[in-house]
Amino acid sequence: MEDLKIGVFICNCGTNIAKVVDCDAIVDSVERLPYVTVARTYKYMCSDPGQDMIQADIEEHGLDRVVVAACSPRMHEPTFRKTLQKAGLNPYFLEMANIREQCSWVHDDPVAATEKAAALTAAAVLRVAHHEALERRSVDMCPNTLIMGGGIAGMSAALDLADAGNRVYLAERSDHLGGNVARADLTAPYLDSARDMLTERVTRVVEHPNIDVLLESQVRKVDGFVGNFQTTIRGKADDGAPTDSVYDVGSIIVCTGYKEFDASRITHYGYGKLPNVVTSFELEKMLRAGRVTTKEGRVPQYVAIIHCVGSRNLEFHAYCSRVCCMTALKYAHEVKSAVPGAYVSDIYIDMHAFGKGMEDFYRRSSEIKTLFLMYEKNDYPVIRKADATDDCDMLIEVNETLSGETIEMPADLVVLMVGMEAREDSEEVAHLVNISRDKDGWFIESHPKLDPVATTTDGVYIAGACQAPKDIPDSVAQARAAAARILARTARGKIEIDAVFAEVDEEKCSGCRMCNELCPYVAIEFDPEKRRSHVISALCKACGACVAACPSGAITARHFTDKQIFSEIEGVLA
Amino acid sequence: MRSLQMGLEAKLESDLEPWLCYYCGECSVECPRDAEPGETMMSLRRWLTARYDFTGISRLFYLSWKAELLAVIIVALIAGAGFLLYGFSQGNITQYNGPDAFLPASSIHIFDWTLAAVLLALLLTNCARMWWFTVGRDTKVHVPLSAYVRKIYLLPTHFFTQMRYARCEQKRPWAIHLVLMLSYVTMLILIMFFLAPMWSGPAVKWSVHVFGLAATAGLLVTTIIFLRKRLKKSEVQYQHSHETDWMFLVLLIVVAATGLVQFTLHRLGLGTAANINYVIHMMAVVPMLLLEVPFSKWSHMAYRPLAMYFADLKAEEMVSKAREAVGAPQAA
Amino acid sequence: MTFEPKIVGFLCNWCSYTGADLAGTSRIHYAPNVRIIRVMCSARIDPTFVLKALHDGADGVLICGCHPGDCHYSEGNYKMMRRYPLLKSLLADYGIEDERVRLEWVSASEGQRFADIVNDMTERVRALGPSPVKAALEADLAER
Repeated sequence: MEDLKIGVFICNCGTNIAKVVDCDAIVDSVERLPYVTVARTYKYMCSDPGQDMIQADIEEHGLDRVVVAACSPRMHEPTFRKTLQKAGLNPYFLEMANIREQCSWVHDDPVAATEKAAALTAAAVLRVAHHEALERRSVDMCPNTLIMGGGIAGMSAALDLADAGNRVYLAERSDHLGGNVARADLTAPYLDSARDMLTERVTRVVEHPNIDVLLESQVRKVDGFVGNFQTTIRGKADDGAPTDSVYDVGSIIVCTGYKEFDASRITHYGYGKLPNVVTSFELEKMLRAGRVTTKEGRVPQYVAIIHCVGSRNLEFHAYCSRVCCMTALKYAHEVKSAVPGAYVSDIYIDMHAFGKGMEDFYRRSSEIKTLFLMYEKNDYPVIRKADATDDCDMLIEVNETLSGETIEMPADLVVLMVGMEAREDSEEVAHLVNISRDKDGWFIESHPKLDPVATTTDGVYIAGACQAPKDIPDSVAQARAAAARILARTARGKIEIDAVFAEVDEEKCSGCRMCNELCPYVAIEFDPEKRRSHVISALCKACGACVAACPSGAITARHFTDKQIFSEIEGVLA
Repeated sequence: MRSLQMGLEAKLESDLEPWLCYYCGECSVECPRDAEPGETMMSLRRWLTARYDFTGISRLFYLSWKAELLAVIIVALIAGAGFLLYGFSQGNITQYNGPDAFLPASSIHIFDWTLAAVLLALLLTNCARMWWFTVGRDTKVHVPLSAYVRKIYLLPTHFFTQMRYARCEQKRPWAIHLVLMLSYVTMLILIMFFLAPMWSGPAVKWSVHVFGLAATAGLLVTTIIFLRKRLKKSEVQYQHSHETDWMFLVLLIVVAATGLVQFTLHRLGLGTAANINYVIHMMAVVPMLLLEVPFSKWSHMAYRPLAMYFADLKAEEMVSKAREAVGAPQAA
Repeated sequence: MTFEPKIVGFLCNWCSYTGADLAGTSRIHYAPNVRIIRVMCSARIDPTFVLKALHDGADGVLICGCHPGDCHYSEGNYKMMRRYPLLKSLLADYGIEDERVRLEWVSASEGQRFADIVNDMTERVRALGPSPVKAALEADLAER
């Protein structure tokens, strides 16, 4: 190997790393490694002065390899690759050692942590010596977008993309647009009409020349990669028969929304047995029709609303469904105006009034004389049928925490605030577009704080309630964020694909074709004339399955070669 | 506040806490939700007064100020008519003192005591009901008779010093209210026990009259202060004035004012004027004692000291029970 | 001096490496004995990596991938799953205890699970003592 000059830069990350790991000790230990020319620490390596320092060292010392020991490469690898590029070095001559997320943040013994960090840094130093210059490929970015789901999120994203002049295919499973918002009457906290909001969206979407609305359509297949997806969508032909169409798109936004919790799973609320126990959506139906009545057609004198049905409950879903508290208050207002003499009680655990205008809304709900009754998280109210002598249909027994009393609240109508859950088809959707779901079935975002709409699959975005329970403003914000991300890419016209893929060394290849079957992307083709296999680099995703399987060792995974990994193993165990 | 929101009437009825409040208004000033706890407590006291009363008259007065006004007017008219008839039947309207007196002190004295007896009967019955609601029927706390006897000093203590009010942050309200109350009590004692000396002749008996004058001055000054505060809504506790609040102050000021006029006319020897004024005075006094004290705002002068007394007894009993439960030594 | 095992971890970029990062952002503490090497997919893990790690002094090797069905590359973890039993039987023939090499599925949201696995494995390997490979190599060297 020619004489290399490796620069090692160890970040303190303020106190995040420096508090536990002795960065100066690492400098000492790496200086002894072969080819290390420069080794230094800095407070925040990713900052402008930090990056400038790396650049200056590259230029001054003629460095040809750089190691940055800092946070996870999933955080800043792109940042430092750009730094190398600016200094005129191939961005793949960088290797990062994760001494924060996987070291200083998870260990409290400074000696052990420093030792581990030194080992990880040494591994990076040994590995980077074997890095090769790689060029990123540029492919055309198809400006079309597939949006899965025609609810408020899907429509909002569609409009932003279409207004910018791009074609949008809006695939909706049911026969109408609007999703769950179409089932609502008014929205909290300002009591705006959901219908007005939707009508505006739906009209614009349907009339937009750039949006193809595909109703009663399901996405069957997604092939390709970012900027170059081919998607097969099954719709209905004019005669009603199912028909498949293929569309070319560059990006996909998943806006499939949520479904509501099945209240019959909670027996002590009597849903399904007591006729006047209804869910929030069933009440919406009544409100949209303009009449709030009991099953028997009478005007209810007592209406009770119960929060957290299926949510914040270890037996069903531990999470909070976010929107129900304010929706419940919305019902208090709507019921009071529909039935002015009604006695409305709101039975809750905590009042989650987190957003804009929500605390004021809560106050207004007190002013209209809603009775608020608080129950403790695992001490649920129990609903039973009242006796003939009572002046109400049902009685709700509540261990009311604010007063300390156990009371029986009369109710002619009980509204259960059912929580949100992931749709049954969310697993299918996740597999279709190759994204993951968390333990509750919600789609996982790229980074919980900094990248809420992208996913680990480049080109596939998620927006709205399918990512986690959220209200309309947040769903629209995410949808429009996803649209903006896509527009930023389509504006460039081309997209850079990572230079990492597998390559077959034809001299070593014996033509056994084992790799052909292994590739999930069918990216390896066999040349019958040469009797050799060949990787189609544009399709290769660099998983490495073929690499590990090749009996001749003929396939190398760029940037993840055996040599590179072996040196990492050596470094880690030194 | 919570029991009110939830409509727990039985719990509220048994509660002594509304009486421990003197409405200094601090809580309403502090409340971040502008829920006006001070005024809520005041309303609760009115409600409790109505509940303690077995006749239902109190409830009627609180629900309808017209009914109260009508009742006061009717009683006043009957009293007026009664006194005039009595006076004319056995005396000369020009004579204030002496054998021919229009309204001799002895007769008035008998009348006063009869009135007091009726008033006490009503008031004491209501107080007994209060005891029953707040202490008697409470199964969790059983106060022994010895405790009642031992702590009986609390009743006059609270009555005469209003000491709990002095614990509020603002001391002025306590001071003014104390003066009002002591003036009223002084006047009451003078009238019940020293009527004859006050009645006798135009000559000024300073040993008697100094108290009367001081009391009247106290009554007039404080009543006018309170009236002004209510009219100007100067502090948080005067933002809301119920009709019973006005009735209370108006009657009191009429009684005090006519009392002072009485003294003056009597000293000036203007018999007829004095007699007429006295009838007017009684037309205010009788409704005040017959209606306001047992059935309206005035009742608080009995209920509040009683509440302090009961609260102390209950607290002592609960502490002693708690000590027993944990095996700690009892208080000496 | 308690024996501190050195364990090499091969984690796939999309699920398990992200899961380990999540343990970090959540500040979930675990034993410092595992040194992580990132690969794109568990399918990339050549059995020779495991052998090299043991040869170079690792007392244990941990392999983590996405849960079956959730592989970012569709079926990479199945390929790992197929190679694994063969690898284990080979190691057994060499006298390397079963608990020294372990395959686990960790998803991107399972930070706590990753920490628990590391802690559990560290204790098990600690109980087994230093890897027999080291001793054998030293003996071999001494002979020569």
